[in-house]
Amino acid sequence: MAARQENTDAPLSVTGLNKRYGATPVLMDLNLAVEPAAVHGLVGLNGSGKTTTLECILGMRPFDSGEIQVLGLRPNELYRSEGGVVSIFDSPSLHPQLTVRQTLEHASLLCPRAVRSPAQVEEMLGIGKYSHYRIRELSLGNRRRTSIAQALLGQPGFVILDEPFNGLDAGGVDDVLALISRLNREEGTAFLLSSHQLPYLEQVCSHLSILHKGRIAISDRVDKLFNAQSTRLLVHCDDVVRACAIVQDIPGVQIEDTSEAGLLTLKLDRANPGLINQRLVQKGIMVSELVPERASLTSLFHQITSPALNDKGAERGAA
Amino acid sequence: MNGFLAALKAELYVALRSNSARLLVVLPVFIVIARASVVKLTETGQQAREALLGGGDDVTATSNAWGHFVDSFTTGLTLMSLSLVAYAAWSFANDRDTGALRHVLIRRVSRPGLVLAKLLTVYLLALAALVLLSLGIAAITALLWDFGPVVEDGYELIGSDEIRSEVWLGLRLALIPLPTALAFGVLVSVLAQSATQAVTAALGVTLALDVFKGVLGDAAHYLYASFQPSLIDQSYLQDVGRLVRGYSDVMIDPQVLSLNEWVPLPQLALFVVIALLVVRRKAL
Repeated sequence: MAARQENTDAPLSVTGLNKRYGATPVLMDLNLAVEPAAVHGLVGLNGSGKTTTLECILGMRPFDSGEIQVLGLRPNELYRSEGGVVSIFDSPSLHPQLTVRQTLEHASLLCPRAVRSPAQVEEMLGIGKYSHYRIRELSLGNRRRTSIAQALLGQPGFVILDEPFNGLDAGGVDDVLALISRLNREEGTAFLLSSHQLPYLEQVCSHLSILHKGRIAISDRVDKLFNAQSTRLLVHCDDVVRACAIVQDIPGVQIEDTSEAGLLTLKLDRANPGLINQRLVQKGIMVSELVPERASLTSLFHQITSPALNDKGAERGAA
Repeated sequence: MNGFLAALKAELYVALRSNSARLLVVLPVFIVIARASVVKLTETGQQAREALLGGGDDVTATSNAWGHFVDSFTTGLTLMSLSLVAYAAWSFANDRDTGALRHVLIRRVSRPGLVLAKLLTVYLLALAALVLLSLGIAAITALLWDFGPVVEDGYELIGSDEIRSEVWLGLRLALIPLPTALAFGVLVSVLAQSATQAVTAALGVTLALDVFKGVLGDAAHYLYASFQPSLIDQSYLQDVGRLVRGYSDVMIDPQVLSLNEWVPLPQLALFVVIALLVVRRKAL
């Protein structure tokens, strides 16, 4: 029996992954890395290859070429991590005839180093009151909570979640986000989250990759990605024409729109909104409101996956 | 090995809490008890009618328990093997359909290890069903009939020891192909794309073999299915059913009995090896 892999190994390293379904290429030279203790979001349009990527990583689907290492193990050897890697799938993959408690007891049998009891993880996920309900009697949200509870019996080094927020109500989403943050902060657990729920990923992810047309179009730390994006600034003032003349001399400021009365829309590239405000006020412009519109994951995602920019995105991924 | 044992424990945990597995174990014995009770009722009615009409000389042949004992085993083993083949075919494919398979494979055991754990679980269920079936048959036949030698016109045609020996041989030969049949079910489960497809294919092929063994002639003796108690029964147990009733026209070919002893074993190995090879590359 192989020894448990130490977490000094990178949680995930995917290099040059290629996968075809028949003649149709689904993943093309895909490269992806998850750093230790990172919460890495993987986003992409439907059919972009997210689930196929996860299935290849988890050893559920053979791939044509490339190299995958998960905690230093090949995908078909993940069981050697002895609970170091766990996954929660898009559809809660549970035995429908078992109760919640039985499901967790069953998972305990497969968990070589359980650090929490079934009762404890039920409490963590708020499903204690459903303990004696059969899985088939539960709502999708509670099935998903049970599925997540299974993963928390041990102390995994790397957790892969496919659409973890599907079917959860607002409270459930908050619980899961808090849980991910807590495990990441307190136990150094690395996560790979695949989701369409971009605002949720934005809240919890430290890193982000956008998968588009079978390639990673962009992948970096979330703060770097957002810093690289320009910020819009809406300036409500009494004299738009004079304001334009003043701000156009400030470095990193570009005038985007002046068509609306009393509203000046600026595009900032590392320019400080406070400086703009100061200049305008010094020149006697009355500024009634300054509204910064920061780059969001949603805007970044739309930018990458926009049909007009597809080719550009693909080039960045290849680079 | 630890992973395999953990997977086996997990499989048994699920099986023991599954209604289908429980049904699998108790259904054959219930059917056999019901059948024996109906046979006894029919016999009693027939004897009463013959007594009223002044006949009923041949009471010993029908009241001897051995014939019913063997018939009950033939019925029970036929039911048991068909239902277990269906369960074996369903088990792996259904877990793949629900996705439950993935947790086991990621956490604890290799793909071949999981297939072997599934197969062993089916074998343990078969063993439980067989023990229950044997106890049920022994109890019901002892309750309804009397065990003893076959005697006709004061002559003992076949003694109790010889009957016991033949019954034991018949049961042993009937059980030898069972592991192969179950391995076939697991192989189909691994090959199939869904649980429905797996169960349909496994039962379909098993019943088709039953039909075709009659037209294959001597070649059928190289097929594990020929030696199983089945709907179109050619097993030695069927011959034993006639032997223990005192029929003298039972033709026993020692070469066929010898084939019965070893033919299912290489086929068992073949099915297991194919299943282990296929599961390594299968998308799950």
